[in-house]
Amino acid sequence: MSMLVALPSARLRRLLKAGLRRGLSEVELAALLRDDWSCDPGSPEAVVLLTALRERGWLSQQFPEQIWKTHLGNPVDR
Amino acid sequence: MAHILAIHSFRGGTGKSNLSANLATALALQGKRVAIFDTDLASPGVHVLFGYTAEPDDATLNDFLQSDAPIRRCAHDVTPEPVRRAKGQVWLIPGSMDSDRIARLLREGYEVERLNDAMFALIDELRLDVVLVDTHPGINEETLLSTAIADCLLMVMRPDSQDYLGTAVAVEVAQRLDVAAIRMVVNKLPSHYDPEAVRTKVLESYGAPIGALLPLSEDLLTLASGGLATLVYPTHPWSMEVTRLAQSLSADILV
Repeated sequence: MSMLVALPSARLRRLLKAGLRRGLSEVELAALLRDDWSCDPGSPEAVVLLTALRERGWLSQQFPEQIWKTHLGNPVDR
Repeated sequence: MAHILAIHSFRGGTGKSNLSANLATALALQGKRVAIFDTDLASPGVHVLFGYTAEPDDATLNDFLQSDAPIRRCAHDVTPEPVRRAKGQVWLIPGSMDSDRIARLLREGYEVERLNDAMFALIDELRLDVVLVDTHPGINEETLLSTAIADCLLMVMRPDSQDYLGTAVAVEVAQRLDVAAIRMVVNKLPSHYDPEAVRTKVLESYGAPIGALLPLSEDLLTLASGGLATLVYPTHPWSMEVTRLAQSLSADILV
């Protein structure tokens, strides 16, 4: 979660925060991408963004619910 | 829809756990189904206020986080009788008081998002109205998670210079995380302080509404976390202000 605070991009923080709690449905993700990122879910920009986040392990889609969930927390290092 | 209230303070000793337990009780006295997570896993203490002592086979939050115990097993009904008569209920998800378990948690850590998953799983299983998260003081992974997912962050502080400075850091972090709502709670306010002056200073310092100004109380010091002030001293100014806070949250946030 400290990573979330440290992200310089406010819209990236909003996207990843939205993947907490119950996560994002496909509809919710599409709305957020349009509102905050000015792109449609299937657009090249969205694909690049979501791929980058998935490769970092930060945001991924869970099946069969098809909910997008945020994972920023590594095991707590005290 | 269930709501999450995170109760946080930058420094220790602000009375956060006492407030968490009493606020949970005040909300449950409204007939609400309330769960309180003690996420101060290094030094849990909310269970003391409810008079709860874990039996050897009782599961704690540590068991969920590190041993995959179902979260429902870790939730214990601690509903006081007056709350039960009011048709409310309180469940506690306590931290372990076993020194080996605490040490193991500190050593091995855990994925902090599992706390998020636990809360929503329990909301569904117990049909909860409110989840209160009692946090460890200071900025750490658990408090950041709680802040990020909360519908309202209650920032608890004393009218003390160190608290003023430290709370500013916590509020700044909360604003960076776009927390939905913040309410400032000033606790342990000495009787000779001008409440309106404190109210003005807090509002000017943080730009967040005051949730409650709670008086420093000899009676609470005497109670010494041995019970719930809202039940033992229901007409005490401290208790009445906590009750008023619960009513205000119910009207503004828990809708």
